[in-house]
Parts: sequence; structure tokens; C-alpha cells
Amino acid sequence: MPLALYLPLLLPLTAFPVARLAGDHLHPRTATRLLTVVSVVLSVCSTLCLALLVVVGTAQLPGNPLPDGWSDAEVRDAIPHVSLFGILAIPTFLAILTAVAVTHRRDRVEHRLALNAVAGAPAGGELTVLPDPTPYAYALRGPPDRIVVSTGMLLPLDDEERRALIAHERAHLRGRHHLALAATRLAACAHPLLRPIHTTVAYTVERWADEDAAEALGDRRTIARAVGKAALAAKGRPPFAAPAFAAPGPVPRRVAALLGPPPPTAWPTPRSRAGVAALVAATGTTVSVLASLNAAVALVLLLIAATPL
Amino acid sequence: MTVRPNPGKPSARGVRRGPGELESEVLALLWVARGPRTAAWVQAELAGGLAYTTVVTILSRLHDKGLLARARSGRAYAYTPVTDEAGIVARRMRALLDHEADRQAVLASFVSELSAADESILRALLGAAGPAESRG
Repeated sequence: MPLALYLPLLLPLTAFPVARLAGDHLHPRTATRLLTVVSVVLSVCSTLCLALLVVVGTAQLPGNPLPDGWSDAEVRDAIPHVSLFGILAIPTFLAILTAVAVTHRRDRVEHRLALNAVAGAPAGGELTVLPDPTPYAYALRGPPDRIVVSTGMLLPLDDEERRALIAHERAHLRGRHHLALAATRLAACAHPLLRPIHTTVAYTVERWADEDAAEALGDRRTIARAVGKAALAAKGRPPFAAPAFAAPGPVPRRVAALLGPPPPTAWPTPRSRAGVAALVAATGTTVSVLASLNAAVALVLLLIAATPL
Repeated sequence: MTVRPNPGKPSARGVRRGPGELESEVLALLWVARGPRTAAWVQAELAGGLAYTTVVTILSRLHDKGLLARARSGRAYAYTPVTDEAGIVARRMRALLDHEADRQAVLASFVSELSAADESILRALLGAAGPAESRG
């Protein structure tokens, strides 16, 4: 049991390879769902273990309000290096709670501001067109759900490509992609090693929307052209600063994927790379859940035993 | 009431789409059209071979919602997007987008930033995608 308490804190180390493999080899819908579940489970388990460490660590501090029995040698011996990690866990845990709360609050404020900005504007279907030469297009969850597009984004596109753009944004709203984005983002706040999963999910939801739009239109190349043209139109007048990547960025990867064959929707065979990703992810989360449950139960039993009645 | 765009079975151009989708498409079309347009023009422009009466219904609905203004043009109506309200909202949106903030979780942009390398890869990809690229 002792080391099991640290295992969920270390298992997010698997996040990077799993995110890479799933993002590259699974159908974007499967990848999004798998990665979201993995990051939520891993972050909850690691936070739980951290909380347990905090309890034991706090019990070691002089003048703490917890029962004296909790700082017994028996409890300390059950967790290796508890005097060091138990104390370190306290500020870490507080920092995590703050980061999650601040991020969640900021998202809510930003969402409220965006809703207020478009409040009252009429929409045809879900579409709100705004006269602005700067190209932008957003799916804004409501109620009411809206697709907000500037005239600068519509002008360079032809009729079919405009349909592609609208279908893509509609797919974001229908698929409730904001939930996957928000969940992985909060998970990354709870454990920084889960950040690659959030980055990958930000990409796979775009791919997912691309594939949904391709299905709705019955044509992949139109979506590819729409994405490519929109990105080229947006270039030079970036609404936001963004870092330059050495590797090809998300847009060329999306276009290349759309020009290729549709991704397989079936579950991959265990031998394939996608299969490996799914397998590692499933094993990692299962071990994390079992280890943190095991640690939690053992620790609670120990604390009950050490609590003077 | 809603005709789903039949996600399971992609077919050729002119897949059926729901009334909401049609409204969006017609609205987007009139925003990029230069000047007032009639139902006949919209019908000719839109892919999918819509019935004339369908187009007229959509245009009247958008007019009722205050999205389109219309004026007599011969025996038919010619429609233009109503810009006053949209202009005000556009300025509010602009102000929101301009202030530095991490809004990625709230507003997922259609396309992310391109690096110089991305741009050349993208142009090569679109060029290789065939003559379709020059359509727009």
C-alpha cells in the first residue's frame, strides 16, 4: 500500500505519449472522449491522493487541530517520506485548488462577456453575422447557442465553403465540445503533466467538427478548402498573439487530414499504434483509480484506528 | 419539425438540411452579396436545388426576425441584411476580442494562428488539392 499513495501522482506521466498516439491515430471523436475521461480520472485521483497527504502532513505540524493519533508513528510509517512530502503537499494542494477555482471563474466571466456582447442580436438559424473586416468565426454556447461569424470571414469563401464553415461551428455546438475543453483544462490545472491532453483535445475537437461537417456536406475537400482559405485570410491580421511552432501547426494538419481518407471509426486492433494508445490509457487510468482507492481506504482505516475514541 | 442533415449517410451535393441550417446559409449568402437580391437570385446561388417557395419562406422568416430588410423590385421583393444592430454588436464583439484574455475555453476559433512554415505547407496542400482551390 505505501507507494500506492504516490502512484496516482506519477501516472499523469503517461499523458504525453497517450495524447500523442490518440491524437494522431484515433478517430477524433473517440480520441476526444477517451482523452477527456482519462484526464478527468487521473486528475481526480491525483488530487485525492494529494488531499490524503495533506491530512497526514498537517497532522505532523505542531499545533494542528487534528487528533493527536493521526501523527502516530504507525501512520507515519505507513507512508514513506511522509514528513517531507506531507509538508510539501500542503502548499501544492492549496495552489491547485486556487488554480482550478481561478480558471473556472475566469472562463465563466469570459463566457458571460461574450454572451453580453452579442445579446439581442437576431440570428438566422443559429447564425449571427457581424459586419467586421477582421475574419473570425466562433461557436458560442448559449442559451441561445450561436454561431458568430464576421463578414471578413465570409467574403473569401464561396457558397459551399460557407456551408462548410457553418456546419463546422454547428458541430461544435451539437457535440458540446466546450465540455471536453473545459474538463481537460481544469484537469491540467489540477496536475500540470495533464496539459498535453488539453492541448491535444483542443486539436481533436477541431478535427471532430471538421469530420462532422464533412459528413453533413458529403464532401471532405470543401471543408479542407474552407479551413485553408479561412486560415490564410486570417493571417496577417491576427486577432490574438500566438506562438510560432516549429512543427506544422494545427491548420495544415487538419487540411492534410481532410484531403486524406476518412479516419476509421471502428476501435483499433490492439497491435496498432492507436490500440497501444487506448491500451496504455486504459491501463494507466485503471491503475490510478485502484491505487488511489487502495491508498484512500488503507489510510482512512489507519486513521480511524489511530483516532482516540 | 426538424429535418436532420442525415449525419450517417453522406451523399452528393445538396444533402437535405434543416430549416435552421437553410436560414443560416441564406443569411450568410445575402451578407456577402453586393446589393439587394431577390428570391430567384438566392435560389440560383444556393447549392442543393431548393424549391422557389422554400426560398421565399426562408426569406420572409428572416425578414420577420428583423435580419433582412426588403423593398419592392418589380413584382418581387429584394432583400438586404439589416446592418444597424449588427454593426453595434460587431463593435461590442471587437472590443471583447481586442482585450487580451485567455478565452480559448469559451470561444473556440474556426482556425488558429499560422506560422510562416504553416502558410507554405498550407498553400502546397491547397495547390495539390487541385483546381478547386481557385474556385473562390
